Amino acid sequence: MTKKPGSLKKLILRILLYAVIFVVCIITLYPYFAMFCTALKSRAEIFSMEGTILPITSLWSNFLDIWHRAPMANYLFNSLLIAGGSTIIAMLCGIPAAYALARMKFKGQTIFLGFVIVSQMFAPVVLLIGIYKVMSILSLTDSIIGLVFINAAFNQAFTIWLLRGTFIGISVEMEQAATIDGCNRIQGMTKVLLPVAAPGIVTTLIFIFINAWNEYTVALCLISTSEREPLTVGINIFNGYNMIEWQYLFAASLFAIVPVVILFMGIEKNLVSGLASGGVKG
Amino acid sequence: MKNKTFRKAEPYIWILPSIILMAIFILVPIVFVFRMSLSEVSKAGIIRGFSGFANFTKVMNSSAFKLVLRNTIVWTVAVVVLSTVLGFILALMLNNEFRGRKIARAIMVFPWATTLVIQASAWKFIIDTDYGTLNTLLLRLGIIDKAINWTPTAGAYFTWEIACGIFVTIPFVTFCVLSGLQSIDTSYYEAATVDGASYWQQLFQITMPLVSSSLTVSTVLNIIYVFNSFPIIWTITKGDPANHTDTLVTYLYKLAFYNGKQGQAAAVSVIGFTILLICASVYMVYTLRKGDD
Repeated sequence: MTKKPGSLKKLILRILLYAVIFVVCIITLYPYFAMFCTALKSRAEIFSMEGTILPITSLWSNFLDIWHRAPMANYLFNSLLIAGGSTIIAMLCGIPAAYALARMKFKGQTIFLGFVIVSQMFAPVVLLIGIYKVMSILSLTDSIIGLVFINAAFNQAFTIWLLRGTFIGISVEMEQAATIDGCNRIQGMTKVLLPVAAPGIVTTLIFIFINAWNEYTVALCLISTSEREPLTVGINIFNGYNMIEWQYLFAASLFAIVPVVILFMGIEKNLVSGLASGGVKG
Repeated sequence: MKNKTFRKAEPYIWILPSIILMAIFILVPIVFVFRMSLSEVSKAGIIRGFSGFANFTKVMNSSAFKLVLRNTIVWTVAVVVLSTVLGFILALMLNNEFRGRKIARAIMVFPWATTLVIQASAWKFIIDTDYGTLNTLLLRLGIIDKAINWTPTAGAYFTWEIACGIFVTIPFVTFCVLSGLQSIDTSYYEAATVDGASYWQQLFQITMPLVSSSLTVSTVLNIIYVFNSFPIIWTITKGDPANHTDTLVTYLYKLAFYNGKQGQAAAVSVIGFTILLICASVYMVYTLRKGDD
């Protein structure tokens, strides 16, 4: 007698859970679905009075047209260059710093960590005027190298934060044993610590790559030559002042989205636990 | 002796590359911004000399600034609060075992991974009155029989921008909370159930305290991100009409790069991070105090 209402309540809750999750998933996917459908439509169909959700005739050629209507290959290559370069520099600077914070004790350690955390508060957009000035001095405005360094710098906080958490989570004993066997610090790090820390390092790497790939504001402000723009800025060539070529804009957008979403799915779990644990230990 | 000095210097060598990188590309720009905020700056960005707080008074006295400041607060509070609440609820749901949980999690990664410009363009398209798919969808389903103007006023535009902001911020909250939830030992709940604790009692007395640290991390980071968020507003309205949808960051971008008022833009920057710094120190004091207990 007492069991029945309980299980009915459970069933209702279960159905409710599925229903809500289902609706949330539909809403989440809707913009992507709309983009995809629109990317397949002709201009006339998009602006027609009798609008449809699905394209009446699928113009797969839109996905090809964008390559000669805009320097898409350049955009793609620039995005790769910016994201790849930023990741390499951020890691080259971040790994030693995170290592020092995790394994050594030195004066000014807290100040350094404090600066790293505070630096997060300064998004590039609020510093754009200052950044622009620094870039003019270094004659790096309108250059991809400039964007690489800026992205690397603004991702340092995350890099150090995530890697420091990863390194702290790994016991020092193996490195100490390696030192007794005659390894120096650098060998101890590269041969013992880094292989063990590989999952954390890969997560960090991909995260920086995605951040730099998705960066928009600084590139918008600094780059003035169309051929040097990354995808995020370049695709707006279809977003004209008077006329928006939605079909091309979305076809090009999908090229910018797909690789990143796949990468992100791979690291999501590690990334979040890294963020949270770094936070607890900080 | 030599060895000893090296030992002392060693950590600094390890952190040096990182320091150089951040010094040139973050610290120097910060210094420039502060200097420019206190100087007369030419249209080309050349610093002409000290002008005290002239830039600040000019900014504060403009009628646009009050509107922009109000918008920024509304934007930040609405996006952070609503996405935190919704993201938290979603995390609680995703923490249950159910079929398709992996797929649901994978889908929810989408908005987090997509660059904001593209997200915003998609939403701009969806809500368009004449050819947007929201109207098409509702018309086809027979829910409405005439296209609705979703953005009749500046306020309506701003509301949609906030909705878009919430949409892209929820996944981050959800995944942060979810990682906190999954690290909770299930024996707590078993013990509580034996003691006859209700669902709500368990939620407020076990779950909430134990995920509070992940929740603070996500909230603090979100306050910073949302406050500084530029692409959504820039893509949908560019702050128009007449600053009605501007926040501090879009406003300062226009001041600096459209109107050639770099000194005033620098002042807006300084005001912006002063506000963030106050928020951050309130948070620091709060967490430090909690640590002492």
